[in-house]
Amino acid sequence: MSFFGSDTTMRAPLVVASAFILSCGMAFTAHAQQVVSIVTSFPKDLTGVYKKAFEAKNPGVTVEVLNKGTSAAVAFVREAPAGNKPDVFWASSPDAFEVLASEKLLQKFDGANAKVPAKIGEYPINDPDGYYYGQALAGYGLMWNTRYMKANKLPQPKEWADLVKPVYFSHVATSSPSRSGTTHLTVETILQGEGWNEGWRQVLAIGGNCAAITERSFGVPDGVNNGQFGIGIVIDFFGLSARASGFPIEFIYPSVTAIVPANIGLIADAKNPELAKKFIAFALSPEGQQLLFDAKISRLPVLPEMYEKAPAGYPNPFGGKITAKVKFDPELSRSRYYVINSLFDHTVTFRHKELVAATKAIHDASAKLASKPNAKGEALLKQAREIAYTPVLSAEKVQDKEFLKLYSASKRDAMKTKTVTALEEEWGSQARKNYERAQELAGQAAALAR
Amino acid sequence: MQNKVKVEARNIAVSYGATQVLRDINLVVEPGEFFALLGPSGSGKSTLLRLIAGFNRAQSGQLLIGEVDVSRVPPWRRNVGMVFQNYALWPHMSVWQNVAFGLEERRLAKAVIAQKVQAALALVNLAEYANRRPSQLSGGQQQRVALARTLAIEPDVLLLDEPLSNLDAKLRVHMRDELRQLQRNLGITTIFVTHDQEEAMTTADRIAVMDQGIIQQLGTPMDLFDNPVNRFVANFVGSINLLPGTIRSADDGVVRLSSPCLGEISLPLRSQIQTERTLDIGFRPHAAQLQAPDSARVGDCVWAQGIVADFEFLGEFVRYHVRVADSRLVIDQPHRTGHALFAVDSTVAVGIPPAELRLIQG
Amino acid sequence: MAAEESAGTIAATPAWSGEHSYATLAQGAVALAIGAFLTLFLIVPVGTVIYVAFADAGGGFTLAHFNSFFQLSLMQESFWNSLYVAVMSVLFASFIALPLAYFTVRFRFRGALLIQTLGVLPLIMPPFVGAVAMQLIFGRSGSVNLLLDEWFGVNLPIMEGLNGVIFVEALHYFPFILMNLVVALNNIDSAMEESAQNLGASGLRLFRRIVFPLAMPGYVAGASLVFVKVFDDLGTPLVLNVTNMLAPQAYLRITSIGLEDPIGYVISVLMIAFSLVALWASALALRGRDYATLQRGGSSLGKRILSPWQSVLAYTWIAFVLLLVLSPHIGILLLSFAKVWSFSVLPDSFTLEHYATVFRDSQQMITNTLLYCGIAALLDVILGTAIAYLILRTRLPLRNSLDFMASAALAIPGVVLAIGYLRTFRGVEIPFTSELLTSSWILLMLAYTVRRLPYALRSCVAALQQLHVSLEEAAENLGAGKMRTIRRIVVPLMAGGMLAGFVTSFMTAAVELSATIMLTTSQSNAPMSYGIYLYMQSAAGRGPGAALGVLAVLLVAVGTYLSHRILRSRATELETRM
Repeated sequence: MSFFGSDTTMRAPLVVASAFILSCGMAFTAHAQQVVSIVTSFPKDLTGVYKKAFEAKNPGVTVEVLNKGTSAAVAFVREAPAGNKPDVFWASSPDAFEVLASEKLLQKFDGANAKVPAKIGEYPINDPDGYYYGQALAGYGLMWNTRYMKANKLPQPKEWADLVKPVYFSHVATSSPSRSGTTHLTVETILQGEGWNEGWRQVLAIGGNCAAITERSFGVPDGVNNGQFGIGIVIDFFGLSARASGFPIEFIYPSVTAIVPANIGLIADAKNPELAKKFIAFALSPEGQQLLFDAKISRLPVLPEMYEKAPAGYPNPFGGKITAKVKFDPELSRSRYYVINSLFDHTVTFRHKELVAATKAIHDASAKLASKPNAKGEALLKQAREIAYTPVLSAEKVQDKEFLKLYSASKRDAMKTKTVTALEEEWGSQARKNYERAQELAGQAAALAR
Repeated sequence: MQNKVKVEARNIAVSYGATQVLRDINLVVEPGEFFALLGPSGSGKSTLLRLIAGFNRAQSGQLLIGEVDVSRVPPWRRNVGMVFQNYALWPHMSVWQNVAFGLEERRLAKAVIAQKVQAALALVNLAEYANRRPSQLSGGQQQRVALARTLAIEPDVLLLDEPLSNLDAKLRVHMRDELRQLQRNLGITTIFVTHDQEEAMTTADRIAVMDQGIIQQLGTPMDLFDNPVNRFVANFVGSINLLPGTIRSADDGVVRLSSPCLGEISLPLRSQIQTERTLDIGFRPHAAQLQAPDSARVGDCVWAQGIVADFEFLGEFVRYHVRVADSRLVIDQPHRTGHALFAVDSTVAVGIPPAELRLIQG
Repeated sequence: MAAEESAGTIAATPAWSGEHSYATLAQGAVALAIGAFLTLFLIVPVGTVIYVAFADAGGGFTLAHFNSFFQLSLMQESFWNSLYVAVMSVLFASFIALPLAYFTVRFRFRGALLIQTLGVLPLIMPPFVGAVAMQLIFGRSGSVNLLLDEWFGVNLPIMEGLNGVIFVEALHYFPFILMNLVVALNNIDSAMEESAQNLGASGLRLFRRIVFPLAMPGYVAGASLVFVKVFDDLGTPLVLNVTNMLAPQAYLRITSIGLEDPIGYVISVLMIAFSLVALWASALALRGRDYATLQRGGSSLGKRILSPWQSVLAYTWIAFVLLLVLSPHIGILLLSFAKVWSFSVLPDSFTLEHYATVFRDSQQMITNTLLYCGIAALLDVILGTAIAYLILRTRLPLRNSLDFMASAALAIPGVVLAIGYLRTFRGVEIPFTSELLTSSWILLMLAYTVRRLPYALRSCVAALQQLHVSLEEAAENLGAGKMRTIRRIVVPLMAGGMLAGFVTSFMTAAVELSATIMLTTSQSNAPMSYGIYLYMQSAAGRGPGAALGVLAVLLVAVGTYLSHRILRSRATELETRM
């Protein structure tokens, strides 16, 4: 008899398949009651520790963790049917929580730990409206690969402003604010700290020094870890946990930085809200906060008392050492959130090639002029810098309420799409023109130095 | 062995798009008859066979098997056995499984199937090959398996689609005889498609010669050979010499013709004929005799003078190509040891008995 | 009189050709069922997502979003970049595949099967992991560039910009061309080549004028597949941080948090349309050119013997290409054993710990992958066989639209399909349970089924095309109805093609990521590809992620090898003695 010849061999898989489908359907219903399900953007290194600890403390309870990218996680919560949504949303990006709250997908409840201070710097730790709670703190800073720095003979940077130096050209990496909430806050912090025009000057110049604008926020630390990039603009735990995992990594907080909470919240219409509240309480309790010190996690607890038991050398945001000099205004940040993202993408992310070319020309010209000074050349170079690093959107326009309305987070009708795409087109083509012109001017400046 | 069945086609027409494949086919195959469909490729003979098997459906007309209209009966309910040109043996089954297939489909008891498979394989002398795969058999053996597989179901009608075309020449003659023998013994109504006139003539009781979707002539092999109704049949069944001629008169049972080669000749009138028409006068190559021009003319023949253009020695006979007037004739003379040949360029007298001359119109 | 009669009956019967006209009721039912399946799990879900591209705020129909799209010069640039990358990837992939296929089929070659099998390995590399490994080897600070820098002081920008995308895509997708080309070359009758040689053609001219034109249909089939896959591919540009292409633009806009940007969906619609046009055009170009030249009793191309010099050249070239092609695999293998691998040619030290971690944590994922992809591939083969039968053996009206629908799945981005599923089946319960369809793994499995159906369908169609129809007619003639004939004759004889379809569907489903991330609803339901993605999200997870990736590759490779063995022994059984 041949291998495939008989009727039974061809029929059997079908029977097995349908049996599987049925039996697995049954299996689900059997243990559906004692499960708390958590949607998160955090890596398994973090969630696994919490899952284990919580399950050990509550026998019979299963923690079901769904690790997804932030945007996929939001989409998942939105698309899940009411009454069957996951229970807990746990992620860094405050904007994700804002979106969920505004769509009534989060459930208010009285679950704050009273020992957690109201604010870190100017930033409220818990949502003032009570939809979500800060669970850990994160500060933004610079991580670098020590081997890369040594091989390329790069000095260690200390401040954001250091990153615009010619020496770091093509050694830096950052993510885009539209893709990474942490990057958005970094950009917003710089803009609030330096003012609109000066802030953009810095952001654009850093962008010009970047080897890549990554799509995922993890793309930056990943690239630094494996030596693709020298320096990355990252959230602290990326740097700290990489160092703890044995990578040749250093991390510092610059003096102008924002420390903001990573949040946890209860999802509205959750399947198992009581268990969810219990889990959130656990995450905010000293016991849950202690877990953040795990080397692979390396996050900053929101409970100040925890730092007494912290490992040696662990940064303490409440100790006054890392002080956020900027008075961060969350309301301002929220109002122009989408504008900043879109402006960054259309002038930096999508025009990166031209921006880098302009930056390179400017660095070259300034190096040549340094060795052979030339007044006219200096003037041209100044002009080139001015053109390349001035934002295409004015500080006045970004305060215009009518203009900001275009970017409110609701469905877009045809008119809105048209206006917004026209703006995108204008920014994109203007940026491109500016970068090309700057490159030209810098080239002329360099020629004068000969 | 079983009930002999009649197959009848009435006014059958088939077309694919604009091409008419069969036009107004009327045909009766008698019970127990060995019937051949003979024609060149594209003549419609295979379409007609597949129609009987049920793989094609006619746009119009009726098909009767054993007096029952089967036009709307699917192939698997017709009990018509077909042997395919490429045998269509299933490569994933053994010889035994191939032969048992049809019996299994008829839900027969296991013991009955075993006995019938055994019998069918014995019939074609392949009993000891039952466990082989078709790929392990020679062409002739594969052909017999195909036959056994078909006969095992004891079909009412046996259809053979060019069954011998994939065999080499020697084997073909052998299988032909076997087939004929088998059919005689079983007495099963058999329809046989072929493009080889020799195959058809040697095996079939009757032949339908087909061309362009039409049955050109239907008759016994001898009938077709001796009295072809048109040039197509005359040329397709055996070879023939055709000489142009004009009818001068036809009365009192005598036709008078004039021909550039044969001069004025008179023949007995065998059918209605129109006068003052050009037609062909035909005769078979073996029917004529050659003589030296000066020798005495023996027999009652029509005579003509010609020049030998070429000859070929074919063993049993010598084939002469003879130029007569504007025509070139082929004339076969039996060969006997010691007979002298007519040399190329020598003049010869060609004698044809009037009984061998055919008038061919159309 | 007879003429009158027949004229009368012609008018009474429908004027159709009548070939295979029986059992249309059952065939119609099967066709309807398949059509319903595809509508429910492909057309409707995709429709619910892309309708945004045509919807105004009030829900009305509008083409204004398309208008806005065409005003963005960024989009034109993205379109041209995507097109450029797709075309160049096809060229580069051909450059890799052509010599591999030609050498191994055409010459007596040690290890030809090994080379052909290794050549398929890139397909079973999870794209995510592949790019990470490629960065470690070819990136700015990858092994190759570190060595080049040390030796010659140069740094090749292999992985930068569009060129990097082309490089990775070509290495990943060239097997589609290789596989199709090997089959096509094997099907060329040796008499074709011999008669050309007999008439004086040899060497390159012989290849250019006879062999390549005859293998053209296989090449075009593979090349068009590569074109569409590259055109639609999202993962590679994103990992390489190239955003000025259509797929990343669509993805970035669709997945921005809290914004429903219609332009993203406009891009999706245009990409689907463009891919369909490309597939349709290649099918049109091939119509009537599928020369299956292997005659009955004919033999495929004779294998020539290489001269020593030629051998050295050929083996060197093949070794180089294989090294290039397998570099991602070498990369993840090293990574899976590496303690720390950062800015160095090779990892600092090696460990087995990552495998221990994976075996401790992820056994469920391995089982899940086997289960989901197994069922999905099985369903694909069943659907593929049924559709192939309907299009090749019946004259059902609209039967080709089934083919078209099933093949259209090739052009649907995984994210779009996944969001469509979540929307379409929101609140739908699995029959007889209170479990929701959206929170079970069934949707994930169905997404795999739909997305990989085109592969299985192609294999099944090819297998059935090679099956002479008289084999089926013989069965019908002996009393087997349509269903019995299919079960006893068609399916066993198509088994080889069905198995090939199963393997392709299975192995590509096993490394599917985009739909997986959206549709995985719990850790216990997660397949391996999800686990790899998850591990790769943290610094400490790279090792275990790579280890799981190696296991995935091994799993699929062993499966492929086994099915090749079964196929081979079966093929020998069926053909060699013919």
